[in-house]
Amino acid sequence: MNKNQKRTIIIGLIIITAAVVIWLISGGEIFTKTQVLIEKKDELFGTTYKEWQNKFIWGLDLTLIISGVTVLVSGILFFIFKKKGRDEKPS
Amino acid sequence: MKNLVKVTFIVLFFTTLGHAQGFDVKATGVQTFSFADQSSRNQAAFHSTTPFEEINGLTTQIEGKVTFDVIDFANTLKGQFTIPVASLKTGIEKMEKDLRSSSWLDAEKYPTITFKITKATNVQKISPNKLSADVIGDFTLHGVTKEITTKDTVTYLDENEMTRARMPGDLLGILSSFDIQLSDFNVEHLLLGKRVSNDIQIKVNLVGTNKF
Repeated sequence: MNKNQKRTIIIGLIIITAAVVIWLISGGEIFTKTQVLIEKKDELFGTTYKEWQNKFIWGLDLTLIISGVTVLVSGILFFIFKKKGRDEKPS
Repeated sequence: MKNLVKVTFIVLFFTTLGHAQGFDVKATGVQTFSFADQSSRNQAAFHSTTPFEEINGLTTQIEGKVTFDVIDFANTLKGQFTIPVASLKTGIEKMEKDLRSSSWLDAEKYPTITFKITKATNVQKISPNKLSADVIGDFTLHGVTKEITTKDTVTYLDENEMTRARMPGDLLGILSSFDIQLSDFNVEHLLLGKRVSNDIQIKVNLVGTNKF
């Protein structure tokens, strides 16, 4: 493995790890959400009701998409750098 | 004298019984409340839980009317509510699209969910303006109608300065909860019981006015 290939793998792993960590910190939801339900109080009736609030929640689906794209791009770059490495080898 | 006491007692007993079945409020006679809410305050929340996934959803597009005699809620309650299937939201775009599709609730073929009240039973007075009741009615979902029983708390607020800030007229607050089984309404899917529970818990929170 040449330097560029190693760099590609490390960067790829960093991106995938970051995606997984962000997913876990965000609550480990299966699906990415753009709105969440919050509870509000109805002072007149003394009851609670729910309201939608715009909030982005990172889900496992987004983590898998990012990881998949990273693996694909890393794989292509790995192959390109392997070829370049072979071409640049002194005879 | 003994007979007079007996008759008085019987009259008082039935009067009390009658009042226990209704509200002690300023309004009298038959009242009709409309629940056409423009501020998204009226809502029905649904909940499904499986080991794999928890789904919480909400619709704020509920319309309907109820009519009852203020002092005889139990025997005079009638009404109907409708919800557009397309208004059900879960916060997850793909899930909402699936929910409307022909694989699940088929919004195109069965665009509305309806609940038609037929009677109220087990009416208990919690306070002069608050009753609890089991409300029985016909629930229609996915083209299938089934009789269900909902557990309700109904609060009557006479019009005052505070209620006028919300809406004109007397206000009626309804809190209702019930469960349904999707399979009872011909909803069939491979994921039913796995990602989506067959048992759906529904909670309804409505405020209506008699000035509309």
